[in-house]
Amino acid sequence: MKPANQVRQWVNGIGAVAVTALILSGAAPGLAQEGASVSVSAPLVKGTLPVDDPTAAIWSTAKPAKFPMSPQVHWPNRILETTVKDVVVRALHDGTQVAMLVEYADPTEDPDDAAAIEFMVGDKKAHFAHGQPMMQVEGGPVNIWYWKNKDKKGVDMNAQGFGTLKIQTHQDVKATGAFSNGTWKVVFTRPLATEHADEDTQLIPGGFINIAFAVWDGRKDGSGDLVEKGSQKAVSSWWYFRAEAPPDYSGYYYAAFATALALGFQFVLIRKLKKGQAA
Amino acid sequence: MGMLTKPAILLVAMYLFLKFVVPNIPGSAPLPASLIFLYLMLVTAGIVIFYTMSSESKDAFWGPIQRFLTGENLGVLSTARYALLVLFPLLVGWQTFGSTAVSDAPPAENRTIHPAPPGEYTGLSNPVSKTPENIMQGKGFYAAFCSPCHGGNFDGKGPAARGFNPPPANFSDPTTIAMLQESYLFWRIKKGGVGLPIEGMPWKSAMPRWEVELPDEWIWKIIMGEYDGAHQSPRTWE
Repeated sequence: MKPANQVRQWVNGIGAVAVTALILSGAAPGLAQEGASVSVSAPLVKGTLPVDDPTAAIWSTAKPAKFPMSPQVHWPNRILETTVKDVVVRALHDGTQVAMLVEYADPTEDPDDAAAIEFMVGDKKAHFAHGQPMMQVEGGPVNIWYWKNKDKKGVDMNAQGFGTLKIQTHQDVKATGAFSNGTWKVVFTRPLATEHADEDTQLIPGGFINIAFAVWDGRKDGSGDLVEKGSQKAVSSWWYFRAEAPPDYSGYYYAAFATALALGFQFVLIRKLKKGQAA
Repeated sequence: MGMLTKPAILLVAMYLFLKFVVPNIPGSAPLPASLIFLYLMLVTAGIVIFYTMSSESKDAFWGPIQRFLTGENLGVLSTARYALLVLFPLLVGWQTFGSTAVSDAPPAENRTIHPAPPGEYTGLSNPVSKTPENIMQGKGFYAAFCSPCHGGNFDGKGPAARGFNPPPANFSDPTTIAMLQESYLFWRIKKGGVGLPIEGMPWKSAMPRWEVELPDEWIWKIIMGEYDGAHQSPRTWE
């Protein structure tokens, strides 16, 4: 075959593959589903984490995850309507600390406005409602990071069922809230790992763990009583959290190596076949 | 190319059979792609063994493949040959990437929606008689205790449902209470989410443990109200 002809054939071959790939990739976005988030991902950042700044510009680099909220109905005292309908969550980590920004709409700033993040601890599953005991499954405790507007701090707690909430003797969680234009932004910070693995959730970069959220609107009713308090709060179901591991490009290296190997195999095979024909 | 037509037709026919005919055989189910792939590989191996049994059939079988790969007098098929030469290494690379790259997806969850109830809850019959008054009363209890999540229309779309995953059951869907016996509902209402076995993922269910708050008689009435309101009937063994 003439070289010019051969080049044309190669171009045709590559063209056919490219056209097929374009058609397939054009069809793919239509198949991808648009839906609510299932996980919060904390990218690894270099430099300082915005540990006490809910409005820092760097938060925009973290992908927001939106989770719907329901009133806590699982256990009395329940509530059937709550103020907050969704939370938007962003997270960042620097390899030693994690910072999570919980953002939600609340028409008024009240001293008793509060928010919390809940995690499972260790390998045992825990019920999303305060680690309520389960009848056929041996459950574990939950670790709760709690913030209340008037306290201006984070509180590190554990529970294993309603009525068992306990403040830990060692406090690792910091929290700061900022209210503006009907929106709360609350930052929770904690070291990724702590020395109390039986009480604190351990955040290992790369691994998925369960996470849930709770919010209390601190407004009062006509007689001056809090409408949302204790177990009367807005809650989310269990979702996932992951502190991202440093980028791992090994998949690309393996793929490039495999492609080169396949090309080499093709080359050798065809050369052998051509020699065989000539003989 | 004549020698390759028959194996090609055989492979395509086999694929169509496994993909579209087998699932329609009574008592069968759709085959997973990996199993179909395995069967097609076996068919391919069989074809190769068959054609390499005598040296004439071997030459007739490999000849066209060899001519295609070396690009000898191919004419129009040249483009296909070059496409194959480009595609094969890319496909190998893509497969390798897929099996070695770190996944961004959270762990897959395989929750059993209707796990088996404990033995003492199978075959119980509703002790409350099905009178219009009892059904009416059951619907009243349903409105008070169940409808915030399961919905006034029995469709699982109550005002408190939005945040829950799994979502509250939709009773008007024929794959929920219509597939279950009344005793099953009695168990689920009484023990709630925390009463599920491990395959039901009890840690995710918001369903209250109503035995703490409601007498058994109310629960049986609620069950009657649910079936009536959702226009479904309990499953029976007749």
